[in-house]
Amino acid sequence: MRQALVAALAFSLALPAAASAHATLESTTPGEGARVETAPRAVVLGFDQRVTALRDAIEVRDERGRLVSGVAHARLDNHFVAVSLAPLAKGAYTVRWKTISADGHVGRGVFTFGVGVKAPPVTSAWGASGPTTSEHVVRWLYFLSLAALIGGLCFRLVVVPGALPRATERRFWWLVLGGAVATIEVGIVAFLLRAEDALQLPLTAFLYGDLSPVANATRFGKAFIAMTLGFALVTALLFLGWLTERRRAFLWPALVLSLGLASGLSLSGHAADDRGWLSSFADWVHLACGTVWLGGLASLAVVVWPTAAALRREAFWRFSQLAGLAMALLLAAGVYLSFQRLPAVSDLWTAGYGRILLVKIGLVCAAGGWAAFHHFLVRPRLDRSHALLSRTLPAEGLVGVAILLVAAVLVDSKPPPRAPAPSLGAAPATAAKASAPSPRK
Amino acid sequence: MPIASVQPPAEHVHWLFAVGFLILGLCLLAEAIVGEATWRRQAWRAYLWPSVAFGMGLLMWPVMTFFTSSTLHLLAHGAWAQAMMLAGAAHLGLVSGKLRSRWWQLTMPLAFLVSGAAFLIHEANPWLFSRSAFGHHLCGWVLIAGALFPLGKTFNARSWVYNGGYALTLVVLAVVLFANRDVAPIFGHLSPDAGLPHR
Repeated sequence: MRQALVAALAFSLALPAAASAHATLESTTPGEGARVETAPRAVVLGFDQRVTALRDAIEVRDERGRLVSGVAHARLDNHFVAVSLAPLAKGAYTVRWKTISADGHVGRGVFTFGVGVKAPPVTSAWGASGPTTSEHVVRWLYFLSLAALIGGLCFRLVVVPGALPRATERRFWWLVLGGAVATIEVGIVAFLLRAEDALQLPLTAFLYGDLSPVANATRFGKAFIAMTLGFALVTALLFLGWLTERRRAFLWPALVLSLGLASGLSLSGHAADDRGWLSSFADWVHLACGTVWLGGLASLAVVVWPTAAALRREAFWRFSQLAGLAMALLLAAGVYLSFQRLPAVSDLWTAGYGRILLVKIGLVCAAGGWAAFHHFLVRPRLDRSHALLSRTLPAEGLVGVAILLVAAVLVDSKPPPRAPAPSLGAAPATAAKASAPSPRK
Repeated sequence: MPIASVQPPAEHVHWLFAVGFLILGLCLLAEAIVGEATWRRQAWRAYLWPSVAFGMGLLMWPVMTFFTSSTLHLLAHGAWAQAMMLAGAAHLGLVSGKLRSRWWQLTMPLAFLVSGAAFLIHEANPWLFSRSAFGHHLCGWVLIAGALFPLGKTFNARSWVYNGGYALTLVVLAVVLFANRDVAPIFGHLSPDAGLPHR
């Protein structure tokens, strides 16, 4: 009975809340992300508080960025704002709204709907400019955080599973706990950047922007929710592992959960657009093996090498085996994904995605060269090569960091189309960009 | 299933977190009254309130991820989650002996300050707009002013003023959260823009 009460309390607390503040959008007609067969004559927004509607409180644009809405006006005691529409053709439409709450703050939001077609996600709404340099950097930091977390855990559990000197143990905890916290923080920043791109608002207005269409109606948003909650749990498991010193009981679940959560990137990226589950699976294997390799390398170079001379030889040998397996799987998955995403070999030098992939392949070859040098030349003479390794291990790691940077740009890039795309999803934003300027520009 | 359909009213979540703050406050009050030595005669008692703080921080993450009606709310909920987890974790580390520096105790006044600031920044309405707005403002200032007590306790652990004030700050916070309603008047005043009272 007591356990049931505790479980019920925990479940209730786990449910989300809605706190009162400025006016919150409660309903829309047509619905957010809805596909309607009959063209609506108006867009109506319902709020939980009275709002003031300006003339341009609601703007509806078609796939080419043409304004198809009239003058907005308030209805029903100012709890609703409506705008009439011109006769709408079949296609996707973007609704951007802004209202003034009673406290004077301006609330803003965006959503999409489709007439006779599937509505695009809001991240592909008209005016969204696509990934920026900031998003590339943030995604790179996300990869690095994942590598510190997953690679560090894998290294500790597989390569050096026994007791460690105090200083080594401390460095290990800093690496994986830092990685876990950074994964959460960088994930939040990534989500906000994507939402900011969809809403197309300056910072001060963005603070009051409604993020729920991005969080609840896009794969990216759902991945953000699942990964944030999951990595918060991982952080708690790591902390308990540190506190109780029961490594196996807490670190293995943390590693398995982290590897599973990493699939959120695959399920919300290009891999999910490709054919079938195999592409997503290959993408996940590629990412997971990359983090195991780079994070393990960092653990070897930063955690073990400077603080545990007695463990260097064993750690190097065991990591060498683990890294070999990870690299083999990483390459196999990478080759498969390249064939999936590049319809022709010439895309490697004609398409932007292919050119970035070429750079990545070049860096992977450099990393492979370092790895081969360590495996075939250094490993047989390990006892005489400690000084050399203290310089070459970080060098191999830096190549890995560069690979992740290129991977971040690659993930944010669009692969060349395989066939004429009926594309109701991303097409509106692409088409709009070609024919009309972004509202912020 | 739309996420909104499983969202409980905000007041329910406020009340449930109020339970957590009440447990924290009462534990600290008991410790302040009987003294640390007596309170920690049973080893598990020493772990009780830091564990509750850490658990509350963990349970704040679902609130952050599911309630995304504005960027400010997302950031405020995230700040509370991290502040509570950090303070709870640091005090668990101190109790277990894994952490030895007393400076880790500063995580609690830091959590008070960060949480108080987040309350004030994310509440866009004025004090008398509605009861929940009043509650948010009050929570914010109670936490910011109350940060002096855990700060003082860091340097004078035996002071009954600091220990008692620390505990009572959390009890007051719990009471304010228990008094919360989604749309309700405060001192007989409710802004006509706030909507209809729920009951």
